[in-house]
Amino acid sequence: MMTIKAIRDGIVAGQTTAEEVVRACLKNIHENDGKVHAFLETFDDEAIEAARVIDERRKNGEELPRLAGVPIALKDNILVPGHTASAGSKMLKDYVAPYAATVVERLRAAGAIIIGRTNMDEFAMGSSTETSAWGKTMNPWDASRVPGGSSGGSCAAVAAGFVPVALGSDTGGSIRQPAALCGVVGLKPTYGRVSRYGIVALASSLDQVGPFARTVEDAALVLEVIEGKDEHDATTVELKETTVPELMAPKFDGVRVGVPKEFFIDGMDADVRKVVEDAIAVMRERGAEIIDISIPLLKVALPAYYIIMPAEASSNLARFDGMRYGTRAGGSLEESYLAARGEGFGREVKRRILLGSFILSAGYYDAYYKKAIAVRAALKAQVDAAFKEVDVIVGPTSPVVAWKLDEKFDDPIAMYLADVFTVATNILGLPGISVPCGFAHDLPVGLHIQASNFDDNKVLEVAAAYQAVTDWHSRTPSEK
Amino acid sequence: MQIDIDHVAKLAKLQLNPDERAMLAEQLPAILDYIGQLQEVDTSGVDAKAYLTDAANVFRADEPRQNEALREALVAMFPKKMGDALEVPGVFAD
Repeated sequence: MMTIKAIRDGIVAGQTTAEEVVRACLKNIHENDGKVHAFLETFDDEAIEAARVIDERRKNGEELPRLAGVPIALKDNILVPGHTASAGSKMLKDYVAPYAATVVERLRAAGAIIIGRTNMDEFAMGSSTETSAWGKTMNPWDASRVPGGSSGGSCAAVAAGFVPVALGSDTGGSIRQPAALCGVVGLKPTYGRVSRYGIVALASSLDQVGPFARTVEDAALVLEVIEGKDEHDATTVELKETTVPELMAPKFDGVRVGVPKEFFIDGMDADVRKVVEDAIAVMRERGAEIIDISIPLLKVALPAYYIIMPAEASSNLARFDGMRYGTRAGGSLEESYLAARGEGFGREVKRRILLGSFILSAGYYDAYYKKAIAVRAALKAQVDAAFKEVDVIVGPTSPVVAWKLDEKFDDPIAMYLADVFTVATNILGLPGISVPCGFAHDLPVGLHIQASNFDDNKVLEVAAAYQAVTDWHSRTPSEK
Repeated sequence: MQIDIDHVAKLAKLQLNPDERAMLAEQLPAILDYIGQLQEVDTSGVDAKAYLTDAANVFRADEPRQNEALREALVAMFPKKMGDALEVPGVFAD
């Protein structure tokens, strides 16, 4: 399996060069991405040039940085200077990033090679990558099915073996849910752990950037590089405990694993439920203490999310008015706004902007937005109480396996329900990961593990402990 | 719960074509019903701001920082400009 350590060690030992690694990676993408459409664009020249720099440094006897020569793909909402960042939207089709996202600066400083930008739901609004203005992405396990979303492209790029790691963004599940549907690891760090500077904003109190990988160790290695206080993002914090993959001690002994009954609902796929229950049984067999818990307000996490997120999104997307961004139409100011926004935004974006504007409008603000904020605080109190009794909370990442393309596209609520288990993690800012834990209907199933704020290392350790005793994460679509 | 789509679209400066308007007229009420579930939740006595108590404002010294390359890149992307200024339709024009 192509892992970060394997690649870097191979380059350091002289068994291969960064340029060879990158060329092989690009060749694979050019030959095989037609079936997947994970990538919107590859940055071939820059990637090869960056690889040569690594090779030169090795020749000069320099110690190579942590991610030296490792190809990484970035979601289309992450700013790479000089390259288009369209956030999956026509509105930004001509937008060329004038500066680097902090995560990009850090990845580059660590020697990672940015291979290209990946497909996503428009403005990160979606759970299937079908709302992208640039076409759909196919699930590498079954091309007639969705990869999940909104970070479907980055996820598929890892699942299809095009790159060992990729970055996505997660506002309501957009890293973890596709990871579950595509059988890879997807991590959403604690809110405030990773800088959002240079990420096209969806919901500013919920968005986080995080890695896709085949292994928990690789996810941890990427997190180590991208995490940490950033003066450009006032919501980042000085971490009391940084991620040090070598110090992770994966084990189940002494770990209290909470299983909320609210995560096993009617209407979820019975086979998915069984696979996740089996995964929890594995943890129990290996020494974890499984504790049944109840967090009643989890039942309303999704409606609360679909108030908070559209409200924030409607505010964040107000800037896309055709003046600086988007196509400038003629006419008066009002006509310009209407034409640019009418033309530049797709249906889901319009739906959420309208919902958000309504929620924040006079007469409705108290009933919806203020209420949702209060529910958020009440849910936080319940979850804080739970984390006194348990170390992590687990459950299914997704209630279903990957569905057919177009199946849920015209049914917004059906689509929103795909995130029923992941949104609470975002509205509380908790760290959460999805790890592959089996198959249902021959399609991947993900186990979701979350912990208290800034307890990301606990999440990684439990996930790594699970991977140490299972091999679901090493299955690939080509072997099936 | 009734939503006056035309009013909200005006607030949001969103132009909707007839198909979109029809689709939204059909879908938004169901979505509003769904999120309206929150009305049933008892949040009396909950301090909504309790969620934010750890947040603190972050300041930096009030010193100007110049980044000429960034400024040039931004100005280059203006769809219409007068010199280095973004040209826009008159705000107070009729």
